[in-house]
Amino acid sequence: MASLITCPHCGTRPKEEFSIRGAALRRPDPAASDEVWQAYVYVRDNPKGRYQEYWHHAAGCRRWLVVERDNFSHEVFGVVDAGGAAETKSQARAGE
Amino acid sequence: MSLALFHRHVLEDHLSGFEANANPNHLSVVRRPAIFSVLAHRGQGAAVRTALSSVADTHIRDCGPEEWLLVSRTSGAAAVETGVAEIAGASHVDQSDGRVLIEIHGPSVRRILARCVALDLHSDVFVIGASTNALCCHVAVNLARTGDDRFEIVAPRSFAGSLFEELMEMGREFALTASFSRD
Repeated sequence: MASLITCPHCGTRPKEEFSIRGAALRRPDPAASDEVWQAYVYVRDNPKGRYQEYWHHAAGCRRWLVVERDNFSHEVFGVVDAGGAAETKSQARAGE
Repeated sequence: MSLALFHRHVLEDHLSGFEANANPNHLSVVRRPAIFSVLAHRGQGAAVRTALSSVADTHIRDCGPEEWLLVSRTSGAAAVETGVAEIAGASHVDQSDGRVLIEIHGPSVRRILARCVALDLHSDVFVIGASTNALCCHVAVNLARTGDDRFEIVAPRSFAGSLFEELMEMGREFALTASFSRD
């Protein structure tokens, strides 16, 4: 487990301050089929290696973060605010 | 039916009767601070931060992006609320009864806090006036540096008892004493 996470708001903090909230998946369209929602809610890839997770900084700034880390080598590649990440994504989608 | 309501501090049972003369390392509990949680509306962060600094007799504690605690030892909650309510683009909640304000000071204060706070509290990194939310004794608190060897902790009321007992345990080696603050 990556034991130090550099929160974009609070700086470097121990993992005990955070609560891991699972893979950072893109939320399906509200009108998507039941199968898509079933997969979004329950089905996970459980990859080995680099992937993105939601971390909630519960004991700090209480912001949701997207942590990109390697669950094999424990290396952390980047931490961004989930709100900011979502906005960037939706802007990118709007620009497509 | 009439109710006689009176204020009783949550740490009363932990402190009353045990108060000793203050040693160099001392923990004091402020009896009735005014504590407000303030959140800025979207995009109003900088303006609200500036406006907060002009509320009389209060100190700003940083919690997260566009979120602060406004703490006062001298003003009553009503006076602070009047000041906060005038700020445009912000929402506030009175937390005076929901939080406990603890001050800890003394030459060994950093060694005491090093046992229960996973933050670098060196004065080059955590300067006087700095504040942040952090874990202290497994409790999510707001920690602020108010002087070279002086820190303030704002903790949730329901955790105050265990936080207090653990801080005293951490400070036992350094003869940490505790009392309600005199002011």
